Amino acid sequence: MIIAEQKPLEEIVTLLGDARKALVVGCGTCVTVCLAGGEKEVGILASALRMKSKLDGHPMEVDEVTVQRQCEWEYVDPLGERLGQYDAVLSLACGIGVQAMNERFPDAVTLPGLNTTFLGLPEEQGVWEERCQACGDCILGITGGVCPIARCSKQLLNGPCGGSQNGKCEVDPDTSCAWQLIWDRAVKLGRVEQLLEIQPPKNWSKSRDGGPRKIVREDLRLVEME
Amino acid sequence: MAGLLDQIGLGGGRIVMVNLSSAMGAQFAEKVAEMTGKVRELGPNPLGRLESLPHKKMEVEG
Repeated sequence: MIIAEQKPLEEIVTLLGDARKALVVGCGTCVTVCLAGGEKEVGILASALRMKSKLDGHPMEVDEVTVQRQCEWEYVDPLGERLGQYDAVLSLACGIGVQAMNERFPDAVTLPGLNTTFLGLPEEQGVWEERCQACGDCILGITGGVCPIARCSKQLLNGPCGGSQNGKCEVDPDTSCAWQLIWDRAVKLGRVEQLLEIQPPKNWSKSRDGGPRKIVREDLRLVEME
Repeated sequence: MAGLLDQIGLGGGRIVMVNLSSAMGAQFAEKVAEMTGKVRELGPNPLGRLESLPHKKMEVEG
């Protein structure tokens, strides 16, 4: 899922500027699960903004709403008619949700309340780790299900490097060496020979290097009959 | 939560979490007395009553 974390309250207050009436919009999907922008976090942040603005001497009215998914038109469309009454809209969705709101409702100013951080999973309660960089050309099939693109600091396709020490990465001793994990997994699965093959340079044009990406599935598109 | 209260400007010292078992009555009384003294020292909540902060919680279909 998409992992995000809330911006500091001071930064959010600065973003809202002199707005007197604001709407905080949560998202019921990824950011709810990673406890950054769901209904509960919307309630806490809205309360914090109400209290802080009152203490700062210019009380702001802060309403709350959470939609199922801010990244799909059908879920954000019901908000449309109500946004006109607000000076600012603060989205607690990922960057996709913030952009969807701005794209769908160009007359309203929708601001980001979160920093979208990575694609990952909760390693344990309160700890999230990156697992995927959406590179567009998955190689998990040859690395035993451990991604060196997302989890190796150097994104090596043929590892480990000389900085792998006692199973940890030289960049951060708290980070496991992805190539150590890949090797251990290959040993366990009896597939070490597969790792001895040198992998050619990666085709990064399928990742961000090829510019913004788009998938078109003609079989799914709704084409009007002539 | 204490950090958030600090960011709001209410003062993080107004809240504390203490782990005690049901058999620790004396320690409970001690912690309550300690906290009561601390809150008295900090003075009244500068916000006053929360009812003066109007807001709406919307529901959406779907």
